[in-house]
Amino acid sequence: MPRAVKGVLVECDPSIKAIILKIDEDFHHAFIVEDLDHQTLVVKESKLAELKERLEKILEKTQMMEKEEESDPEQPG
Amino acid sequence: MSGNIRGFGYLENLPPITFRRLYQQPATALAIFRRMLPSLAKVIVTTLLYNDVPVQLGDLEALVRPESYREREDAFSKLRRLHIINETDHTISLDPVFRTNFRLALTGGGDHHSFGVPCPPSDKKSKITIPFLDEYAQRKFEAILHYMVGTHNDTKPGSGVISLLVSSGLMERQGTGTQAIITKNGFSFLLQEGNAQIWALLIQYLDTAEELGMEKTDVLHFLLMLGSLELGQAYSVNTLTVTQRAMLADLRDYGIVYQRKAASDRFYPTRLATTLTSEAGGLRSASATIAAAMGDKDAFSDAGKGFVIVETNYRIYAYTNSPLQIAVLNLFVRLTTRFPNLVSGRISRQSIQEAIKMGITADQIIDYLSVHAHPQMRKNLVVLPPTVVDQIRLWQIEGERMKATGGFLFKDFTTTQDFEDVAKYAEELGVLRWKSTTKRCMFVTRHEQIADWLKRRAAGAGKK
Repeated sequence: MPRAVKGVLVECDPSIKAIILKIDEDFHHAFIVEDLDHQTLVVKESKLAELKERLEKILEKTQMMEKEEESDPEQPG
Repeated sequence: MSGNIRGFGYLENLPPITFRRLYQQPATALAIFRRMLPSLAKVIVTTLLYNDVPVQLGDLEALVRPESYREREDAFSKLRRLHIINETDHTISLDPVFRTNFRLALTGGGDHHSFGVPCPPSDKKSKITIPFLDEYAQRKFEAILHYMVGTHNDTKPGSGVISLLVSSGLMERQGTGTQAIITKNGFSFLLQEGNAQIWALLIQYLDTAEELGMEKTDVLHFLLMLGSLELGQAYSVNTLTVTQRAMLADLRDYGIVYQRKAASDRFYPTRLATTLTSEAGGLRSASATIAAAMGDKDAFSDAGKGFVIVETNYRIYAYTNSPLQIAVLNLFVRLTTRFPNLVSGRISRQSIQEAIKMGITADQIIDYLSVHAHPQMRKNLVVLPPTVVDQIRLWQIEGERMKATGGFLFKDFTTTQDFEDVAKYAEELGVLRWKSTTKRCMFVTRHEQIADWLKRRAAGAGKK
């Protein structure tokens, strides 16, 4: 009889997945339920928010976002 | 449907015993039939309704074209989950309690009072007209929305409403005794259509009611009954149970029922009540429903009409002076100027991404804009400029580095054949998201139907 496990399917780029694997390893495998393929994995539902937050933090350090265009071209000044 | 706001669909998860008790009232049986079943399931129920002996499953399946396999499975699964049908070896019949009471609802008879007992018009000069009720419902319900966005309004919602908003996670208090502030969930709540908003509140009410020792089925009976009452008619309080009488006080606060005095022996359902179990769709927002029904009579109808103009250069003009609408727009538009009857601003990558951070989705924003589009915009074939719509979606995707879908991972299949069968079934249902034959595991968004199917198959195999 097959088993069903509750979780969240995460689809992402391989580069992002590498970071997720690293986070999982650093926290004693608290996040990942099953590693499916190079761009899909299943994580614990309760940990998704925390995972996203950690991922954002790491990406903030590594990536530069371009400056927001604040000026409105049709309203000089 | 977003995040953690539970809507009407939540009712599907009630335990079987609750359903059996719910079906004891004709009005409830009718309401569930009306609101919760897809059309095909309705056909199946009506086919079975006057068949006193169980029907062969094969005969029923013959009613449906073979290519509509998916719809058929969907209908049966819904009926099973709502415990409307009983199945034995290849035959199927309606739940006897449901059958009896649904028949009563359709053809009348019995003294169940489940559709309420109308009161004769009061001898005092009757001032309770439909426009009056509409105005009352709108004032009460908008007061709740106004309170959520923190605008000043003449009517403040009752303390019961406020604690409900807090316990449902739509608002939160930073410390005890402080002013409650709106949460992420609250923002997505504001962008929902009216009927969904009311149900979200009522489902939460249902939960808290149980904590207060009110009988859950009693509460549900009453809510579902309200949907079948007639607007403008007074109903007697005397046939209600103690729990239901206690509820009246709370429902008054939401604008769902009106009573002249708390001790009055009659109550009037408002339009919010009578549309509770209408078929989904068609209700834009509480005010739009009311406005549509009232026509162009007075200022209130303005609220329901479109007022937003979106230009291809991402500028937004909104003909409104309602603090509520401005507050909602302010969630995702950078408003720059305000005139007596107009606000204008721009949507930008930043404003959209801030909204997305608050838990609002691009689709909610687009829905809101198209629902409230100005009549001038509606003259176009495409209501919103496609560039703007696409860009809003792109801005959302930009912020998403991973795509998360909740669901269930099925694994440990004994044979490849087994796996392929289940995968095929899941695909036909449209719930399969990912599979790998080599690993013999798959990810599905819903498991109930598959678990059902596996169980039935196992049972079938056991017998052979």
